[in-house]
Amino acid sequence: MAAGESGRIGPSIDIERARTRIDEEPEDKVVRRLMERFQATISEPAMLGKGRVRIRIDKKDLFDACRYLKDSLGFEHISMISAVEYDARFDIVYHITSYQSKLLLELITTTTKDDPSVDSVSSVWGGANWQERESYDLMGIVFKNHPKLERILLPKDTLYHPLRKDFR
Amino acid sequence: MKAEPDKSGGIGQAVMFRSRDFLKWSDEVLEGVLRRSPVGAGIDLVTKDFFNWATRNSIYPLHFGIMCCALEMAVASAPRFDAQRFGVIYRSTPRQCDVLLVNGPVSKKLKPALRRLYDQMPEPKWVIAMGECAISGGPFYGSYSVVPGVDQFIPVDIYIPGCPARPEALIDGIIKLQKMIKDNRKGLMTGR
Amino acid sequence: MAEMWINMGPQHPMTHGLWNLRIKVDGETITDAEPEVGYLHRGIEKLCEDRTYTQIIPITDRLCYGSSLTWSHLYCLTVEDLMGVEVPERAEYIRVMAIEMQRIASHLMWLAAYAADLGMMVGFIYGMRDREVFIDLLQALSGSRLTYNYPRIGGVAHDLPHNFDRDALRACEYMEKKLKEYEDIYDGSKVFMMRNEGIGLLKKEDALNLGVTGPPLRGSGVKYDLRKDMPYSVYEDIDFQPRSHPACDCYARYRVRMDEMWESCRIIRQTVKKMPKGKWRVVAPRNAPEGTGFGRVEDPRGEAVMYVVGNGTDRPYRLKIRSPIFVTVSAAPKMLIGYKVADVVAIMGGLDMCIGEADR
Repeated sequence: MAAGESGRIGPSIDIERARTRIDEEPEDKVVRRLMERFQATISEPAMLGKGRVRIRIDKKDLFDACRYLKDSLGFEHISMISAVEYDARFDIVYHITSYQSKLLLELITTTTKDDPSVDSVSSVWGGANWQERESYDLMGIVFKNHPKLERILLPKDTLYHPLRKDFR
Repeated sequence: MKAEPDKSGGIGQAVMFRSRDFLKWSDEVLEGVLRRSPVGAGIDLVTKDFFNWATRNSIYPLHFGIMCCALEMAVASAPRFDAQRFGVIYRSTPRQCDVLLVNGPVSKKLKPALRRLYDQMPEPKWVIAMGECAISGGPFYGSYSVVPGVDQFIPVDIYIPGCPARPEALIDGIIKLQKMIKDNRKGLMTGR
Repeated sequence: MAEMWINMGPQHPMTHGLWNLRIKVDGETITDAEPEVGYLHRGIEKLCEDRTYTQIIPITDRLCYGSSLTWSHLYCLTVEDLMGVEVPERAEYIRVMAIEMQRIASHLMWLAAYAADLGMMVGFIYGMRDREVFIDLLQALSGSRLTYNYPRIGGVAHDLPHNFDRDALRACEYMEKKLKEYEDIYDGSKVFMMRNEGIGLLKKEDALNLGVTGPPLRGSGVKYDLRKDMPYSVYEDIDFQPRSHPACDCYARYRVRMDEMWESCRIIRQTVKKMPKGKWRVVAPRNAPEGTGFGRVEDPRGEAVMYVVGNGTDRPYRLKIRSPIFVTVSAAPKMLIGYKVADVVAIMGGLDMCIGEADR
């Protein structure tokens, strides 16, 4: 992807400086900037391979972190929102892609089993809208401030959430 | 039955009916007589084979594709496995179809819609269950949202196995349906 | 004029796959739209938790049946990432060759259905006839016409049959001749151009924000192709160009797919030339370690992602699938509002919907 196009899509970074900064270890740069900004709630950064970083964040800073990622760090595209159920918690995994720096960030938040709710990021990325509806439908996670949190794959009057471990 | 003379006082006398009453009247007078009398049986003797030949050589399925077997259904009308030489033309509305080809797994959300489509088709109609998913749930048997087999709520005439069923198998199924129609021929008037 | 909601309901000759599009019309103009999916939901993610890793491969084939090799390849990539299995190079080249043939077959299926919807039956007949060439090749490779069950965790199921490279090159030559013919038929048809140009505009910012990927994104001017920008498998060693088109309408998406078919022929030629000798499969361990695996490919319809969580047994703990069409359909209202009812066919057909993957 040409650098000229990346300047038009992303935020207002100086193109020449951005290019040299992007070329040296972009994964570390992202992790460093996130840790500077959200010191209290971020933990466990891990490098998962070429161009892939994982980081954990507390759920109360999730919306701010996503907005920061989109506006300042140039992560324009949300690839996937998954919900995984463990014994004592729900993990919600966000895979966010940056087209400019060709990076993938895996952002994991945790929520408790008795009140599974998280802030919705569909006002940051419109592509998150239906993915959150699907997580609500199949796993039962409530996304606060979602424009239309309804069932999408199962019939509207279903009472259960099938992907939970205690379902059948 | 309401028969009123023409009030305009013109030449002759016209007889007026409501349309519902007209259907009842014609059913009683025309078809009832034909059905019970030797006239009806005579007409049937002459036309039964002809109508049956026309029906079985112009099977019109419904444009309804659910899953992978739907692609094989589309390919069956492609140049390589031409199904049109058997008289098979796809129609878009269930009111004009003879055959409902169910070609994929039926989920619980789809079940009422499919039943409604079946009810909208006029008699005589047949159902072909194509592929493993329609016969018994297929590779998704045991899932919480797949109905195990379409014959749980629709009567099925022909089963075509395969996952996905090859287009040759679909054409073979259509030929078997044609043979079935030929063996069960009934007259239009008397129903025998 | 009163506005009303119309159901372009589950049974419709245009909808490829089973979904419902509710549009609010004012006369003939569309003022709002709301797609409804879920008629094909089979609970695949829950089914996968009950099967072993190898038993899931035929199920992933049936996720999107128009391009089923891509999905089983994606699944194998994800599980190989989880287990840390190193795939031999010959297997990688065979996989890439098969995937590009599948891409051509999928785009031809799209072209045939698209032309049939717009009323050009000649496109349907020609598209289906040429697709049979590639389906025959894939049938020689794997034994089945549509859902192949060919990749395995650690490689591919069997080696290439005899003389396969000669047949593949012949198929590429045949396809390139036919692509020239298609360009004459479609670009020279005034009706086709009128029904496609200026219809269904999707601006670049909207496409990026709404998560649209694949040919609709490249048809809006963003030159991003996962095979080039975040390469997986052996795409780093293969020379090709991702194609994009700046006009954000239906014609641009059509043009992007035709160009992708040209590029796929180039890729197949290169893989045939560079095919190494060696093993085509390594045996993968039966139990997966605890941890997570992630895989991402460029499906003919967009960006397909899978995320698997292993827990030490031979069954996955959680398998999450992201399908490109699920997100692209949610962007449909943006493209439909303001156009006429008759344009719905061109716009939704141009997205190449295969609802099997959206509903899982």
